[in-house]
Amino acid sequence: MNARTALRIAVAFLSVTLAVVAVTTLDSCGTGRDHRIRLTIWHQDRIDIRVILQRQLDRFMQLHREVRVEQLFKETEELRSGFIIAALAGQGPEIVYGPADQVGPFEIMKIILPLEEVFPKDWLAQFDPRGLTWYKGHLYQVADKLGNHLTLVYNKKLVPVPPRTDEELIRIGKTLTADLNGDGKTDRYGLTWNYTEPFFFIPFMTGFGGWIMDDAGNPTLNSRGTVDGLKFIKRLRDEEKIIPNEADYNVADILFKDGNAGMIVNGDWSWAGYQKAGLDIGVAPLPLITSTGLWCAPMVSPKGFSLNANISEEKKAWALELIRFLMSAENQMESARELYTMPTHMQVQQSDFVQQNDILRNSRIQIDRGRSLPVVPELRAIWDAMRPSYQAVLAGTMTPERAAEEMQLLALRRIKEMNE
Amino acid sequence: MQSQTLRHRIYLFILVAPAFVVLFGVVIYPFFYNIVLSLSNMNLRHIRDWRIIGFGQYIKVFTEPSQPDFYVVFLKTVIWTVVNLFFHVVLGVFLALVLNQKEIRGKAIFRAILVLPWAVPQLIVALTWRGMFNYEYGSINLMLTQWFNIPGVQWLRHPLEAFIAVIITNVWLGFPFMMVIALGALQSIPHDLYEASDIDGASWYHKLRHITLPLIRPVMVPAITLGTIWTFNNLNIVWLVSNAGEPSDQTHLLVSFVYKAAFNFYRYGYGAALSMVIFFILLVFSLTFMRKSKATQNVYS
Amino acid sequence: MVRRKNTTTLRITASYVVLMVFSLVALYPVWQIFNISLRPSDRLLSTSLELIPANASFGNYSALFTERPFLLWMLNSTFIALTVTLTGVALASTCGYAFSRYSFIGKKIGLLSLLVTQMFPATMLLLPMYIMLVQLHLINSYLGIVIMYSATALPFCIWQMKGYYDTIPTSLEEAGKIDGCNEFQTFVRIIFPLAAPALVITALFSFMSAWTEYVVAAQILQDTELWTLPLGLKSFESNMGSEWGLYGAASVIVTIPVVVLFLSLSRWLVSGLTLGSVKE
Repeated sequence: MNARTALRIAVAFLSVTLAVVAVTTLDSCGTGRDHRIRLTIWHQDRIDIRVILQRQLDRFMQLHREVRVEQLFKETEELRSGFIIAALAGQGPEIVYGPADQVGPFEIMKIILPLEEVFPKDWLAQFDPRGLTWYKGHLYQVADKLGNHLTLVYNKKLVPVPPRTDEELIRIGKTLTADLNGDGKTDRYGLTWNYTEPFFFIPFMTGFGGWIMDDAGNPTLNSRGTVDGLKFIKRLRDEEKIIPNEADYNVADILFKDGNAGMIVNGDWSWAGYQKAGLDIGVAPLPLITSTGLWCAPMVSPKGFSLNANISEEKKAWALELIRFLMSAENQMESARELYTMPTHMQVQQSDFVQQNDILRNSRIQIDRGRSLPVVPELRAIWDAMRPSYQAVLAGTMTPERAAEEMQLLALRRIKEMNE
Repeated sequence: MQSQTLRHRIYLFILVAPAFVVLFGVVIYPFFYNIVLSLSNMNLRHIRDWRIIGFGQYIKVFTEPSQPDFYVVFLKTVIWTVVNLFFHVVLGVFLALVLNQKEIRGKAIFRAILVLPWAVPQLIVALTWRGMFNYEYGSINLMLTQWFNIPGVQWLRHPLEAFIAVIITNVWLGFPFMMVIALGALQSIPHDLYEASDIDGASWYHKLRHITLPLIRPVMVPAITLGTIWTFNNLNIVWLVSNAGEPSDQTHLLVSFVYKAAFNFYRYGYGAALSMVIFFILLVFSLTFMRKSKATQNVYS
Repeated sequence: MVRRKNTTTLRITASYVVLMVFSLVALYPVWQIFNISLRPSDRLLSTSLELIPANASFGNYSALFTERPFLLWMLNSTFIALTVTLTGVALASTCGYAFSRYSFIGKKIGLLSLLVTQMFPATMLLLPMYIMLVQLHLINSYLGIVIMYSATALPFCIWQMKGYYDTIPTSLEEAGKIDGCNEFQTFVRIIFPLAAPALVITALFSFMSAWTEYVVAAQILQDTELWTLPLGLKSFESNMGSEWGLYGAASVIVTIPVVVLFLSLSRWLVSGLTLGSVKE
C-alpha cells in the first residue's frame, strides 16, 4: 500500500467521523446558553393531564423567571424502572410524580426523601389525609389528585338509571344483552370490562368480604371473599351471560365506545375519553352485593410528588416551591374542572363545583367506599401471584376454592423470593 | 491470500479496529457488570449494600421451584426458536426464489408489500394481531366461522393455542427479513451456472439442491445464526400478543423470567445469573452451528 | 417445445398466485393499522370485518403534525438513522472484507465475538449501560446514540458482508493485480460494486435498527427536543388510555421511509457476477 492509498483510507474515515461529529454538535449548541435553574418532573400522565400540567408549569415559570421546569412522560412501568436506574446511578429528575405504590420500592432503595420535615404542618393540614402517603413512619409523597379508582360507567342512552345492587346489575345486564341481527351471536352485552386483570377483580373480592393483605403486609388471598368473588365473575359470564367471553382492556373499551355494551367498569382516567367519543356517560359507584351487604370497594390511590434523594440543596428549595405551587387550590381546581380528577385540597373538595358536578359527586362516593392501594413493594408479588390462578378459573381449569389457595401459596413464595 | 508484511498488518488494523473498538467499548462493561451481579445478592433488600455470595443465584436458577417450570419454559423457548426460524427461512427463501424469476412483472410492488411486516412498528402490529386472535371479535375467528364454517378457536384462553398464536405472529413478522437476505444472496450466484446446468438437462430440483442452496449458504448462515439468537431472546412479541404471559403465565420464554425478575421483583442478582445462563446456552449453540456449517470459511476455495 | 412453454406458463401463474396470497397476508394486519389511524376516538380494535371504518377521517394525520412535534421527531430520527447507515456501511464493508480475504491472528475469535455481543438479553444491560453513559457524558447526546446503534447493528452487518464477499472468487482480485491495480483500488473498483446486494442489506438493516429502536433511545434521550420517532410514538401510549388514532397514523407514516428506502436500494439487488468475468 502506498502513501496515496493510505491517504484515501484516512480521508474516508475522516469524513465518516466528521459526519458523526457534525450531527452530535448540532444538538448540543442550544442548551449551553440557558443559565436558569433546571428542574425536571417525570410522570406517567396521559395527554390531557400533560396539557394542563404544561399550562401550570408555564405559569410557574412566568412567576419565577430564574427557573426552568421540564416535564418528561414515561409509561408507568418504565417510569418506575427508569427512575430506579437513574436514581441508583446518582441521577434522575428532581421530582417524580405517580401513584402511591411507587413509594414502597423507592423507599427501600432509599431514592426518595422523607417530606414531613420540609413541609410545614399547617400547610400539610390543608389536604385530605388520604393524599399524604406515609410509609414506615415518614411522609414520602404529597398528592394533588386522589382516585385512580374503578367505577361503574354507563351509557345513559342504554341505561337510564344505573344499578345499585348486584341483582339490579344482572337484571339490567340481561335486558340489554341481545343478539340484534339474528345471526346467533350476541351483538350487545349488558356489561363489559377488563375482567381478566386482577386489579379489575379487586372490587368484587372486597364486595364479598375479602382483601389482598393484612396490616402487616402478609397476603390474605385465601379467603371466602376471593372464592365468592371468583364465583360471581364466573356467574356473570357463564350463567347470566351478560359479559363477553373474552375481554381485555382494549376490547372492553371498544365495545363500550361503539355502544355495544351498556356498562363498563373503568377508572377515572377513562371518563374524558368516553365523552370525547360522543357518548353520554354517567358515573356511578360500583354495586352493593346483596348476599353480604357490602359495597364493592375498588382500590384508591393518590397520585403525587416525591423528591429524588439525589437532589442538590440549591434545587431542593425550588422543587419544594414548585410542589407547593402545583398543589395549590387554584391549580387543583383547574384539574378538577377539566379532567374530573378528585382534588386533595380540602377547600377545593368543599367547593360548589366538586360537590355538585354529577361525575365528581359519584366519584367522591366511590372513593369514600374504596380501600387504599397498599404501598408495600410486596404488592407486585401479589398481583403476579393472583394472575395465573385467576385466569385458570376463568379458563375453567381450576375451581375457585383451589385458586384462592394457589394464589396465597404463590404470593407467599414470591414474597419470600423477593426478600431473600 | 496471505501476506505478513508490516504494511498489510497496518492495513488490516485500519480496516478492522474502529468497528471493534466501538463494539467492545459498548458491550464489555455491561457484560462484566452482569457477571459480577450474577454472583451477588442484589435485590430489593440489598440494593446498595449487595455483596458477592458466589454461585447461589445460579443454583436458584436451576433448582428454585418456579411457576411456570423452568425446564418447561426452556423447552418452549427452544420450540419457539426452531419453529420460527424454520418458517422464516423456508418462507423467506421460497418467496425470494419466486420473486427473483425474470418473468415476474411488478417486482417493486410485491417487494414493497412483502417487506411491510418488517417495516411496521412492532407494538401496534403486535396488539393488532392480539386483537385478531380474540375469540368473539377477532378477524381470524370471524373469517374461520363466516368463510370456512369452522368453529372459532379460543386462541388466547388456552396455553397451546396461545403459543401457536404468538408463533404465527412472529412468523409473519420475521419472514420479510429472511426474504430480503435471500434475495441478496441469490444475486451472488452467477447466471452461467444455471445456464450450464440447463444445457445438461437438469431439473429444477437438481438446480435448487446443487446450485442455489449451497451457494446462498454463506450469506444465509449469518442471518440464520443471528436470527436464532434474536428469536430466542425476543421477549417483545410474546409479551405483547399474550398480554404478559396469558393464559395463566403459560406463554413465556426464558427471557421473560429475566424481565420479571428484574422489573417486577427487583431480583437483580437472580436476573443477572439467568441472563448468563441464557448467554451460555446461545454460545454453545452458536459454536456448534458455526463448526457444522463451516461458516468461517470461504465457499469457493 | 410446446410442453416446455406450458410448464413455464404454469410456473409463472402459480408464482403470481403465491405472491398475491402472501401479499394479502402481509398487507392485512398493516391495513388494520391504517384503519386504526382513520377511526375517530382512539379505537384500537374493531368488531367487524369492514375494510374502511365508519366515520373514517384523516383528522389524526393532521393532528399529528399540528398538535405534536412529529416533524421534529422525524428530523431527529432521519439524522440519526442516516448517520448510522453511513457508518454501518463504511465499517461493515471494510471489516467484512478483511475477515473474508485475510487470515490473521484472532480472526476466528473476532468473528465469534461479534456474535457473542448479540447473545446477552438486553434487560439486564440497562443499568450498567446507563451508568456507563452517565460517566461518559453521553446522556442527551446524539454521539452516544450513534455509537450504541452502530454497536448493535454492526455484528450482523460485518458477518453479512463477510459472507457475501466469500462468494466472490479471489481470482478477481488476482486479475486486478495483474492489471496493475493495488489492493485498495481492487477493493473499491472491482469487489465493492459486486458486493452491492450485501451493501443494500447492510444499509437497510442499519437504517431499520436506528429508525425503530426504542430502549436505548429512552435511556439516552431525556430532553424531549431530542426525541426520536420511537420515543414520540411511545408518548401516545398510556397504560390504559393510549391515543391509538395518533399512534396508528404515526405508524403508517413511520413505515413509509423504510419501504421507500428499500425500493430505491432494490435496484442494486442485482447480480453483477458472472463466471466469465475472469478470463481464464
